[in-house]
Amino acid sequence: MRATWIVYRKEMVEILRDRRTLIAIALAAVATPIVLTVISQVSTKTATQTYTIGYTGDVPTGLGELLTATNLKLMPVADPAAAAKKQVDIGIAFEPGEVDVYYDPSRQSAQIAQNRLETVLGQYSAAQAAAALQNRGVDPGILTPIHLVSHPLSSPVQAASNAFLSFFLPYILITMIITGGFSAALDSTAGERERKTLESLLLTPAPRSRVLLGKIAAVTTISLVAAVAAIVSMFVALARISLPGGSGHITLSVVAVPLMVWVAVLIAFSFSAVTLALGTLAKTFRQGQAYVTPLYFITIFPASIILFIPDFNPGIAYYLIPILNAVLVLRDAIVHNSVDWTTLSVTTVSLLATGALSWYAALRLFTREALLTRS
Amino acid sequence: MIQAAVAVERLEKTLGKNKVLRGISFRAQPGEIFGLLGPNGAGKTTTLRLISTLLSPDSGTVEVLGFDTREAPEEVRRRIGVVTADIGVYPRLSARENITYFAQLSEVRDSELKRRVDAVIERLDIHSFADQRAESLSSGQKQKLAIARAIVHDPSVLMFDEPTSNLDVLASREVREFMVESKDRGKCVIFSTHVLHDAERLCDRITILHEGQVVASGPTAEVRGGKPELEDAFLDLVGAS
Repeated sequence: MRATWIVYRKEMVEILRDRRTLIAIALAAVATPIVLTVISQVSTKTATQTYTIGYTGDVPTGLGELLTATNLKLMPVADPAAAAKKQVDIGIAFEPGEVDVYYDPSRQSAQIAQNRLETVLGQYSAAQAAAALQNRGVDPGILTPIHLVSHPLSSPVQAASNAFLSFFLPYILITMIITGGFSAALDSTAGERERKTLESLLLTPAPRSRVLLGKIAAVTTISLVAAVAAIVSMFVALARISLPGGSGHITLSVVAVPLMVWVAVLIAFSFSAVTLALGTLAKTFRQGQAYVTPLYFITIFPASIILFIPDFNPGIAYYLIPILNAVLVLRDAIVHNSVDWTTLSVTTVSLLATGALSWYAALRLFTREALLTRS
Repeated sequence: MIQAAVAVERLEKTLGKNKVLRGISFRAQPGEIFGLLGPNGAGKTTTLRLISTLLSPDSGTVEVLGFDTREAPEEVRRRIGVVTADIGVYPRLSARENITYFAQLSEVRDSELKRRVDAVIERLDIHSFADQRAESLSSGQKQKLAIARAIVHDPSVLMFDEPTSNLDVLASREVREFMVESKDRGKCVIFSTHVLHDAERLCDRITILHEGQVVASGPTAEVRGGKPELEDAFLDLVGAS
């Protein structure tokens, strides 16, 4: 394995002297906290923002104060339906015994205002009904014959934290692993052909399989460094910002951390091999980019879709699909705070097989005569 | 019979639809500069790639110091040093790091590594730019670096493929002097070129390839025949007078 170590060391030196790779890692480390801070601020602003209600008619006694307390500001208008299109967030016509609400569902502010209004009106109606019953000497408790008592099986704050992490963490991890090693993989394959060092490398007695292993190890390392940089910066940012709604800070469970490391190593290895194989097909760095860029979208697209499906409960066959399986395993570990060994085993085998097959393909490509004669 | 450094027998090779070599044979001996001449497309580079195990013969055999290129390619690669036509160097490594990398891959022992690298740097007068990144070197300096990495493991057979084609007069002369020096050290030097003037001055024996076949082979003076210059004989042989 001496040749593998020699190639690994040389590739690492070259990668660390390559501005493209260093900039990609630095951007990853900086971009993640910025994105999270912006998301946090937007969420906080949405929760505390005051929305305007345009109204006609007489405001029922006490309702105005209740609306103001929930950041809903009343403003008299001539036509609430017309005003709700642009002038105000929501329109109301107070009629005796009836409230007509006008809102545009395509406006996010109208939806939020409408939800708040429904809650306030519900509370106001219940309070009015209770007061009327009490005046007549009737227990207001008859309005709620069944009492709903909730017993959450886990901390709602932790659940919110897990939901947030299960969405962001797999996405950032996979994106950074794939994009972090992208430049290094192409530089060590297509780059060798482009700068005409490949022939000299193949003229050495070092077995080509060992040379390739050294390259895969270097690309895997740099992919992991990029992922670690992004995730560490993500957690540093998360320690400084609150969950949407201000219900606490986000933490990752003890179970998820080692699992995340294991999955990261698997993805980094398998995708280093895949990108090296594609890079070996290319004659130039630019051509390599054309081959590898679609790979990112092909792999990240199904994974992203899954993240948007709430409570998606896949069968074991889904865990055979590389990247998608990594997302699912990570999501399961974060949300349920436990490891399903069957799905983890299938995921491990799938990603190792992807890496091994890609390494074999890269080796076949690396040893074919056309590699030299076509360049 | 003395074992040839390189023995090529009835070598044939087709690349794509093009039959590049059509049964060529020659032998190069230790302590000589052997010229492989021919116009562009004659098959010189393909021949060198077959000798250096980068390509595999369709038929025929190549032996380097008794090792068959098909049966023992790694043994062959341990014994050869090739200066390719395209001088590719690792731009983000220094000249010294480039040489060290190839020395390590060529199985130079760790205990000998520094001495060997320093010796090559000394021999090729690379001191002034040894610790400079290769991306900042001139063509002549890169060519010296290419030679240094090809000889750092002290191979018995040296092959040069058009080594002076992109060099200025001074750098070309240094390469030529190096080939003569290597020959004097008992190395077998195979010099592939279409610059006949260089070949005439340097080569002890030559083989002229044309359209994948050997059209002349022997001591340089013998191939030149009665012609005033090798170029005249060459043009006669390739039918382009």
